[in-house]
Amino acid sequence: MGTIRNTNILSELVVKTAMRRQIVKLPPEASLEQCIRHFIKFKVNGLLVSDEQDTITGVVSKTDIMGAYYARLPIETPVVDIMSSPPLFCREDESLEQVLNTMRESRVYRLYVHNATAKVSGVIAYPDIVGVLYTYCRECPQSRWQHNRHSEGSGGPRRFKVKEIMTPSVTTFSVYDTLMTIMEGLSANKIGAVLICNQEDQPTGVVSKTDLILAYRRGVSTDLAASQIMNTPIQRVNQEECLENALQQLIFSQLHRIFVFKGEPDNFVGVLSLSDAARMHSGSCRACIMSRIRLEAGNAQE
Amino acid sequence: MKELAKDIMSRQFHTLNEEMSISEAVKIFKSAGAEEGRKLFGMMVTDNSGKLVGMLSMYDILLFIRPKHVHIWGMMEDLDISGMIASSCAQARNVRVADIMTSEIISVTPDTHLLLVLDVMIKKHVRRLPVIEDDHIQGIIYISDVFHHIVDQLT
Repeated sequence: MGTIRNTNILSELVVKTAMRRQIVKLPPEASLEQCIRHFIKFKVNGLLVSDEQDTITGVVSKTDIMGAYYARLPIETPVVDIMSSPPLFCREDESLEQVLNTMRESRVYRLYVHNATAKVSGVIAYPDIVGVLYTYCRECPQSRWQHNRHSEGSGGPRRFKVKEIMTPSVTTFSVYDTLMTIMEGLSANKIGAVLICNQEDQPTGVVSKTDLILAYRRGVSTDLAASQIMNTPIQRVNQEECLENALQQLIFSQLHRIFVFKGEPDNFVGVLSLSDAARMHSGSCRACIMSRIRLEAGNAQE
Repeated sequence: MKELAKDIMSRQFHTLNEEMSISEAVKIFKSAGAEEGRKLFGMMVTDNSGKLVGMLSMYDILLFIRPKHVHIWGMMEDLDISGMIASSCAQARNVRVADIMTSEIISVTPDTHLLLVLDVMIKKHVRRLPVIEDDHIQGIIYISDVFHHIVDQLT
């Protein structure tokens, strides 16, 4: 049974290995402004709302905050007014495979973790799963890093390329589009960031949910143009690049997504996000998948 | 014995403006500390009218500088950590003091009794308290000054 244990990393690893233990919480009466500060300072995309008895009553995401900005709610609005409840939980001993299924079925990007005493002990989101997979990939005897170290030049298993994992479409807006229009686009397409093009239709910047919630906190009118808050330069990667290199770039730039180009650096054809990478259910090369297929075929014969 | 906030507060203090970037704020932490002759671990934040609107501590800044997913990447010995910190610092240029400061202000007045100052510091887990009168900043009290003042009475 030894082979089985090594084949599917995700069913072998449990939540406890990948979760973050720092839980960011706010009281129900905390203002949206306070909430945004916590998002920025703690670099999280969601936080819990708990009352004085430390009972968890809800969860607030960057998307909820963007919704409040769109609805022009005052920044002093208490979080309790916009939170969703109850938060979704998983257990510390659940496998990452199960967790990914729950996240996909419930269409959420993070789950809070209960320990044996039913207390909140952590939180797990797509990037955490990618992160832990990536560390396993590096240690794997099939990995590029191990290959470089021991046997230069030998091919090894075929590596995933960015183009195989990315979402093959890019949503673009013009620098003249208002923040209102961009928020509509983000929410209609269920995406976290859009490319912004200039007058000549050249991509010049990015507007993400984070940029929008910062604008909300700073009191920027939603009728202003994208150019007022967009981020430059556009973080990009070639679609032919190996997945693990792209992941490393994402981690280094502390981004959730990176725009993918084909040929010319301004010819954007897709977006690679940490969520896409986590949904692949495997590491950064085909070795894991190949052995899994072999195993499944073997089981079928038995 | 000196007993009131005004007796031990520092009247020489510097403030940050809420619109400043984090990198500007860090520069002021250093220069203000040198001028005041103490290491600063937190500063008062004011708006353009000079009104106190929050506090920014070293911890707030460090939280922001800490790279995302550091719990995973911190284990990899061959990764260039300085590159990751440089990337965090690059992000700090776009973030303003008001984006990460603590806006729940706990303050005392010049006539607050020293023991009450001590009580507030302990209960609220703060190490520095702005001293405010009629919406104007009069000074700041550091926990070390409270300590040394009280210890002087003990010895």
